[in-house]
Parts: sequence; C-alpha cells; structure tokens
Amino acid sequence: MIGQVLEDELLNKVTKPTRYTGGEYNQVKKDWANVDTTMVFAFPDVYEVGMSHLGLRILYHLINDQESMLMERVFAPWTDMEEEMRKRDLPLFSLESRRPLKEFDVVGFTLQYEMSYTNILNMLDLAQIPLLSQDRADDDPLVIAGGPCAVNPEPLADFLDLVILGEGEEILPILLKKIGNFKKEMAGSKEAAPGRRQTLLRQLSQLPGVYVPSMYQAHYDDGGHYKGLEKLDGSAPDRICKQVIQDFDQAYFPTQSMVPFMGVVHDRVMLEVLRGCSRACRFCQAGTIYRPVRERSAETLQRQADELIRQTGYDEIALTSLSTADHTCIEPLVKALLQAHEEKRVGLSLPSLRVDAFSVNLAREVQKVRKTGLTFAPEAGTQRLRDVINKGVTEEDLMETIEKAFQGGWHTIKLYFMMGLPTEEEEDLEGIARLAEKVAYMGSDIFRSKGIRKNIKVTISLSSFVPKPQTPFQWEAQNSIAQLEEKQQFLKKRIRDRRITYNWHDAKVSFIEAVMAKGDRRLAKVLLKAWEKGARFDGWTEHFRYDRWVEAFQETEIDPAYYAYRNIEYNEPLPWDHLDYGVDRSYLVREHKKAMEAALTQDCRHHSCSACGVCPSLGISVDLRGGDHGQNSDRL
Amino acid sequence: MARIRIAFSKEDPVRWLSHLDTQKAFERALRRAQISLVFSEGYNPHPKISFASALAVGVISLGEYVDVEIDPLIENAELVMRLQKAMPEGFRIIDAEIVPPGQPALMALVNRAQYRVKVPLLSSIEEKEVQDSIQTSLDLDSWLVERESKKGLVQKEIRSGVYEVKGTVVENHLLLEMLVQTGSEGNVRPEEVLSMVVQQKDLPVQLERLRIIRLGLFVVKDGKQFTPLEVLKDLR
Repeated sequence: MIGQVLEDELLNKVTKPTRYTGGEYNQVKKDWANVDTTMVFAFPDVYEVGMSHLGLRILYHLINDQESMLMERVFAPWTDMEEEMRKRDLPLFSLESRRPLKEFDVVGFTLQYEMSYTNILNMLDLAQIPLLSQDRADDDPLVIAGGPCAVNPEPLADFLDLVILGEGEEILPILLKKIGNFKKEMAGSKEAAPGRRQTLLRQLSQLPGVYVPSMYQAHYDDGGHYKGLEKLDGSAPDRICKQVIQDFDQAYFPTQSMVPFMGVVHDRVMLEVLRGCSRACRFCQAGTIYRPVRERSAETLQRQADELIRQTGYDEIALTSLSTADHTCIEPLVKALLQAHEEKRVGLSLPSLRVDAFSVNLAREVQKVRKTGLTFAPEAGTQRLRDVINKGVTEEDLMETIEKAFQGGWHTIKLYFMMGLPTEEEEDLEGIARLAEKVAYMGSDIFRSKGIRKNIKVTISLSSFVPKPQTPFQWEAQNSIAQLEEKQQFLKKRIRDRRITYNWHDAKVSFIEAVMAKGDRRLAKVLLKAWEKGARFDGWTEHFRYDRWVEAFQETEIDPAYYAYRNIEYNEPLPWDHLDYGVDRSYLVREHKKAMEAALTQDCRHHSCSACGVCPSLGISVDLRGGDHGQNSDRL
Repeated sequence: MARIRIAFSKEDPVRWLSHLDTQKAFERALRRAQISLVFSEGYNPHPKISFASALAVGVISLGEYVDVEIDPLIENAELVMRLQKAMPEGFRIIDAEIVPPGQPALMALVNRAQYRVKVPLLSSIEEKEVQDSIQTSLDLDSWLVERESKKGLVQKEIRSGVYEVKGTVVENHLLLEMLVQTGSEGNVRPEEVLSMVVQQKDLPVQLERLRIIRLGLFVVKDGKQFTPLEVLKDLR
C-alpha cells in the first residue's frame, strides 16, 4: 500500500526522490517470515547524511548476516516529504520493505548530534508511535538509541525505552537475539501476559551495556540541583558500562557495502583503519568515549579494500578514523593501496590530518593529481591556550607543516579554530588572526619566489566551544551567546586581509547544543515543546529558529543558562554519573587541573600511561599493529 | 579497445534516478563487472561513457542506449551477463553490439522517441472524445508551448516535431502513444503532447498521477526507422 502511494503520488512531488526509494546495490531485503527479530535503523537526519555514517553500514550488514534477525533503514524525511506524508496520514516507513516503523520490533536511533534530537521526536510522531516511553503499549516497538550522544542521553530519557553504551557490534546482536527469544516464549504461552513490555525491558537491563531509563528516577533538591538517580527496581544495575570490541583487527567489517544512487556526503569506500584516539585533547568527547586506540593490521585493511572496491565499484577509498595519520603502518599501507588500485584509477583520501610534516607528505602521496585543499586544526591562537587544551601542536609545527604544503603546490589552506575555550583571552583571539595572516604571507612569499601565479586562499573556520560530558572540560561553563558573538565580531573587524576568508558557527546553535549535551531529564519537556513549535532539522541553518527554543524554555520554566553557563563543582552529582565509559573521574579532574596550569599530557601510545583507567576497567589494552615503526621520532 | 553499444531498460525503483545518477550507476556497475573502461586523457581522466539522451526523472524507459569504450574487448553475450549481474535492481541489460570505428556518437544519431502516457480520468469519457481531441490537435498548424529556460519562460513551436499520436481509454485511464522528435534538432516532451490533446476537448484527467513510459529511441534514416542497435546490425 505504502509503496503504491509512494510511486504514484509522492515521489514526483519531492526533491531528491531517491532519498526514499531504497533499492541501492548491496541493499539487503530479507523475508520477514524467516526471522525472529526485526529492527529498523533510524537516522535522525536526511538520507545523504545518514548514508555517510559508517556505523549504520557496519550494523546493517552485521545484523542482516545473522539468520534470525533483519535490519532495515529509515532517514528523516525532508520537509517537503513530511508535508506530503502528513497530508495523507501516511506513516513513516522503512526503505527496504516499505513497512510502517510501527511493525518493527525495534526502532533504533543513532545519537550523533544534539541538534538532531527534535528530528527523533518528529520521526516517532510521523511513525505514529507514542513519543513517551510510558505511553507505549506491549505491541509498540522498543525505541532504542546508541552512538556518541548516549554518553548523556538524559534529555531523551523519557522518549527512549533503552540505550546502549559503547560499540554496537558487541551489544546489538545479543540484544536482538534476546528480544527474539522473548517473543517466541510469549507466543508459546496461552495466557495473556500483562506488563509484557516491562518484563522484557527488565530482562534486557541485565545485559552488559544496556541502560533502561525507566528503571530509574531522577531527584533534584529544593534549589533545583540534580541529586542523582534512584533505582525503581532492585535488579537494575548501579552503573552501566560501555562495551567494546576486544579484537578490532578481527572484528566484523562489511565488504559488500551499499552504493547510494544520489551523491551522499561521503560517496566513497570508507575503510576504518583504527578506532579511538590517544592524543587526549581536553575538549574532545570522541577522544574519551572511543578509547582505547585499536588498529587494524595492514594485511586486513588491504584485503578489505580489495573486496570493497570489487563489491561497490567506487573509485575512491577514504581511510577513516579519528586520526588516520596516527596509524603505525600508515605509510606502507598508503603505498600498497595506491599501487594495488592505481591501474583501475581508484584514488585514496585522508579525511583528517594531523598538524605535522609527515601528514603533508602523506597527503602528497595520496593526492598526486587532484590538489583540492588541506585542512588543519590548530584549535587555538596562542601556545598557552593550545597547551590548555592539550593540542600538542606548536606554532613551529604548524608553520613548518603549512610551508611544506605551499611548497608542495597547495594554495588553499583551511584552519579550524575554536572560540570560547576555557581561560581564553583577547590575546588568544588576536593570535588566531595573527596566525592566519602569517600563513597567508608565507604562502604568497613562497609562490612569488617560485614564480607561481596563483592566489593564496586561507580559510579560517571558527566553532564555539561546547563543554561535553566525559571530557576534562565537563565542569566548565560555556561563553554566553553575547560573548561569543562579540568575539566573532572582534575577529571580523580584525581580519582585513583579502586572502583570508572567515566563517563561524551560529553561537545560538552552540548554546542549545551545550544545554542538551549537559542536560538532565527535565529537558524532555523543552524538547517536546520546541518540537511542537515546529523545531526539526535544527542542525540545518535554514531550519534552526532560536525564538522557538526561547519560547520553549520560557513556557516550561526551565533556565537554559543553568546548564550551559555554570561552572560545576567537582563533587556535584552529574546527570551522566551512572554511565561508565571506563575513564576514571579522577583522571578527568587531574586533566582539568593540568589544563588550568597549561600543563601537557603526552600521548599514551608513545609515552608513559596517563592512567585514564580505560584499559584496566575494560580488560583491554592499546592495540598497535606497527610495532617499532610507530616509535619513529620524526613522526611526533 | 572497442566501443560497445548497450541497450537497457530503466524501471522501478531506478526510474527516479537523475541523468547524472544514472551515469554514475553505470560507471560503478561496469567496475563491479570487472569490465575495463577506457579513460580520457588529461588533467582529470574520466571513463568514456556516453548516453543517447537524458531521461526525465520518474519516467520509465524500455529502450535506453549507452556507448562505452572498453579494453580489452569482451564478447557481447558475456558482457550482457556480467553487467546485468552488477546492475542495481530496476535496470535490465537487454543487448549489446560492437560499434565499428567511424560511427557517429549516439547523441548525434538518435532523433525519435516513442512514449506511452497513462493518466487517470476523473470521470468517464467516450472513446470518440479522445479521438476528436487528438484529431483537433493534429489539425492545428502551430503548437506553442512554454518552457522554463535559464532566461526565464520561453515560447517554443513544437508542432513539426510531433509525428504520430494515438489514444484510447482503458480502465478509467487515458492512454496516449506518440512518436516525437528528440536529440540535437529539437525535443518534444510527452507532457506537452498530452496537455495539447487534453486542452482541445477539456478532457477530465488527474494530471498529478501521470505515468510516462519511454518505449524506445530511434534513428530515422532515409525514411526508415531503426533502433540504435539495428543501425549497427544493418552495417554488418
């Protein structure tokens, strides 16, 4: 039925119809009659963003490779599609079987970004599934979530039946198996079983890495401060620990990846070379929650690259991770991959680069033909502030690296900075402008001396610091919107060089992001209200409207400044205290104190262990595949 | 090294692919099929793949054509089989034929398109009304249509590009079949023919549920009509 309406009436009315058709090469369509558990992976953003997400691709094939379960996909419909669906009361459906989401056992959202939370509500509503978990009946799907923002899912606690912590490859098959078994047991018993949903959730809460928010109640004191969670059920665990893959080299990785029809954000083979990052930048949440660093061996990666190219027909391989140039075998790996695929004109790309000469050499290897632009992230404008955030990059490093890039013929350099970092002063902002100018002058000098008649372009991109849970800066306050906007204007006036392009993120978006990142369960009301007022696609400039959020906060009598602008004491209970990512609180405190003294912490791969606690608590250790190769001093 | 002409169809769900997406889908399928493509020289080499004519998004086609340069050459039947296996659902590889050297490009060759248009009726009508509408439109000397171009709306005279229109009523739908001009000399769109016919007698159709099928692309040479593959077979 849905398929007919879609083909006959909807697709010719919307932009980019292939967002909704499915049917991509390597899509998996399984027979519903032959599986015990059905799950739809729900990505709370449009197709082209969602299909660029590696986690979706891994879990999709992992689950569909299991005989007893299936996974289909759904993305947030763009506003034109939503309008057509609402006009006809058409429920949100999956791409593969075009079934309503309501018919699945599990609807699983990935929490990539706080600004997609209203899309989750909108998708549940379009799916005609009750928004609040307490309103769902036995035959409604389980609404679950995982991903980076699961680090603090409290603002979504009322909407989610269950949250998984850590790497989905470890948890999801076990979870779905258990749900399938439960269904079979229930089908066998003749009596009606009231409270079936509660029984199931209770059973699932016993699995490692599974958090069932409804089994806990949050308490606040008279002053409105969060006091902690109380277990409503004695069987609920006190702390929920993230689950990790023990042997990353041998871990599941799909080589029959789907090939979208429309251009998606990352339209190429994504080869995950390593997971985790041990550089320990103090603002970085990914750096904590994906620990420890685990590499795939060059042999495994080469085999996976071969198979992926054969199975997808792509002409480009991206080596992805939080910090690809850190792979201990990266140089021989790049050479081997280039050689193996040169003949078929398959190129390589490195999405993120370190600020060092080695990375430029790598980029030069990789981009022999197409030199599009190089991006580096010094993050702060002065050495003092870079030391505060533990960026581990000196101005010398940066200038040497960029010199190498200009010498190598690159003429477009992009620099990422953050404003509003803890302890930031005017001098640090001034430093950003000064660095950008220095880079531009150096580029022009080099080009002039070589007789190259090409214009230098330096783009500086400024985001606003958002304090995030499970980082040494989780206790920090964010700059106010007014402060951030003032700083943006300061730089705008300060930078007059025509070779420098300057862009920045909306401070108001960063503010809402901070509120949601560090929020507690009381924010559910705000999310609901903002969504009712029309908030969705808040991460998209054309759809974000701050006034909706202001009204939502006012009407729910919640003060957003409390969440974003307050310095938190070390001994205060935090809304995410029960979620254990393996990193010791004492390590985060130590790092925060060191930050205030601008003292550096070194990378635990090459230097002494910084005692973050992850390895002992997860029973795992840093797994490098390059042996001594990684110790080369020229790589630091 | 050889140029191969491939005939294919494009149905659900891939009828929703844009021309650019279709090009990409072919390039990727050819790679998956391990058919070695020939690349252009120059700064940014691209594979030598060229299509007969762009198909509008949402239109089903039973007769599309693409020329591909490959090296080494593969036997036609083998190529059809391998490519079919590597194509996404909705594309069917019908046939393939080697293009002898010196033949014009597909795009320069094709000059006719045959369409079938199917649209639901809002109320029932007599078969005769349809025939009258068609005849009245064909009797007109001039068909001015408005098209959107980069410079805004422009008027276009298309009557001379309409060669044949037939129509009937089937199960509460109006069915039109037409042969029209396409290619470098001009392009007539099936919606334009439908709208001209419907206008004459004010036929009650539900335009938003229009279905269009391209039945084929043709080459008219010396008064005779061939498919782009028949042209090659004729040369043999």
